[in-house]
Amino acid sequence: MATSGSLIQVTDLKKHYNRGAIKALDGVSVSIERGDVMVVIGPSGSGKSTFLRSLNLLEEPTGGSIIFDGVDITKKKVKNAGGKLVKLDIDQHRQKMGMVFQHFNLFPHMTILDNMTLAPVQVKGMAKDAAGEKALALLERVGLKDRAGAYPIQLSGGQKQRVAIVRALAMEPEVMLFDEPTSALDPEMVGEVLDVMKGLAREGMTMVVVTHEMGFAREVGNRVLFMADGLLLEEGTPEDIFERPRHPRLKDFLSKVL
Amino acid sequence: MFTAAGFATAWEYISLFQQGLVCTISLSLLTVVFGFILALILAIARLSDIRPFRSLGLTADGHLREQGFLTLLSRFNPLSFLATVYVEVFRATPMLVQLFIVYYVLLADVPMPSFKLFGFIRFERFFPGVVALSLNSGAYLSEIIRAGIQSIDGGQTEAARSLGLSQVQNMRFIILPQAIKNILPPIANEFVTIIKESSICYTIGVQEIMYAVSSIKGATYRIAEPLIIATVIYFCLTFPTSKIIAYFERRMSRGDKR
Repeated sequence: MATSGSLIQVTDLKKHYNRGAIKALDGVSVSIERGDVMVVIGPSGSGKSTFLRSLNLLEEPTGGSIIFDGVDITKKKVKNAGGKLVKLDIDQHRQKMGMVFQHFNLFPHMTILDNMTLAPVQVKGMAKDAAGEKALALLERVGLKDRAGAYPIQLSGGQKQRVAIVRALAMEPEVMLFDEPTSALDPEMVGEVLDVMKGLAREGMTMVVVTHEMGFAREVGNRVLFMADGLLLEEGTPEDIFERPRHPRLKDFLSKVL
Repeated sequence: MFTAAGFATAWEYISLFQQGLVCTISLSLLTVVFGFILALILAIARLSDIRPFRSLGLTADGHLREQGFLTLLSRFNPLSFLATVYVEVFRATPMLVQLFIVYYVLLADVPMPSFKLFGFIRFERFFPGVVALSLNSGAYLSEIIRAGIQSIDGGQTEAARSLGLSQVQNMRFIILPQAIKNILPPIANEFVTIIKESSICYTIGVQEIMYAVSSIKGATYRIAEPLIIATVIYFCLTFPTSKIIAYFERRMSRGDKR
């Protein structure tokens, strides 16, 4: 699929449960370009988290395709260079997609430093020292270098989420996926996490962010998607979505959250 | 009911109780070791993801089918099914029935060396006792192991997999180190249960503590006093053990609140 320059090309993505009675995603198509900061908004149950989680196959779609770096990762088998069908190695693709969760999901039995070096060492085969140095540099960036030896339980929610972000960055992903990264935080900690995300956006990181932070969507996003009932109802620049909403569901949603 | 003379009489047979104690302890230790090995195999089988008909659940273009008989068949895991049947059967039938089936049916015609462990334990009775107790406690222990693994928050696996860790790496670095904390205390408690349940083996002539009681009863026509002695021995065996376990349990959970 070298025809498009998109980083991720999502076509007609579907996720049905219970013999199709529940349609969490019902045909979503969107292309994510390098450098995009794509913010996905919508009421709860709209399928926005399912959409995000489908991008790295934490949810297995029941239809459609996701072409990432030229490979359809929804297929169980792919053609390799020699044209032979081989099993798709999803771990290999997940390495290139960093994911940040609502509930941080730090590993509680490891120090912050070990949290950050585990995947680079075990998956990428990096030397432990090099991985450690890199982790410390990343921690310094988010102002948490002095907590490298601490355990997750000793950190505040905002600190945990900042660690979760740099833990994903340590794998040098091509795209970062954020699943409501500030929804579980105390209000006074939301800012510190959003600041880290803004910094990332400024550096040109490709990001897909599911969030209820409309301020962030408006200020940092270059594209905003509005989803409801498993459908992508409207897509546009933040100005389009927030100043000139067209779909009645979007108008209704904005009137409730703004 | 109880007389000092009765205790004096029973006390003459104290060597029988000493033998019974040695027999009960070796029976319980061997049972917990073999039971644990069996339980590990059962738990791994139940949590395994070996689905021989998996490919039937895919459509021609390689997507998951949404519904139908083939979907059910593609999810069928024979290993997990067999392990589940085993666990349910052993948990739903009396220990005594299992013991008799092992001793009088399964191992009835198996030739066994007739040597005596520690010079007094008849191996051809001791061995079926260990087998029956291990088969039974394996079923219970496997549920403990399975519950310990499943009690780990699914977000941990999602975080690990999204960092690119494989299923095996996830188990090794993330799930098992956390699960072991949940698994060890109930396993130790199961050991206490086994000590008590091993008394059932006197019905097939294994010379453990209750066997001593019935021997003394046959020789002296006294039952109350030997029973009291047996009760004291069992209590001295299990009470400190469970106190020690509770102590370590508290110490381990303190580690969580670092």
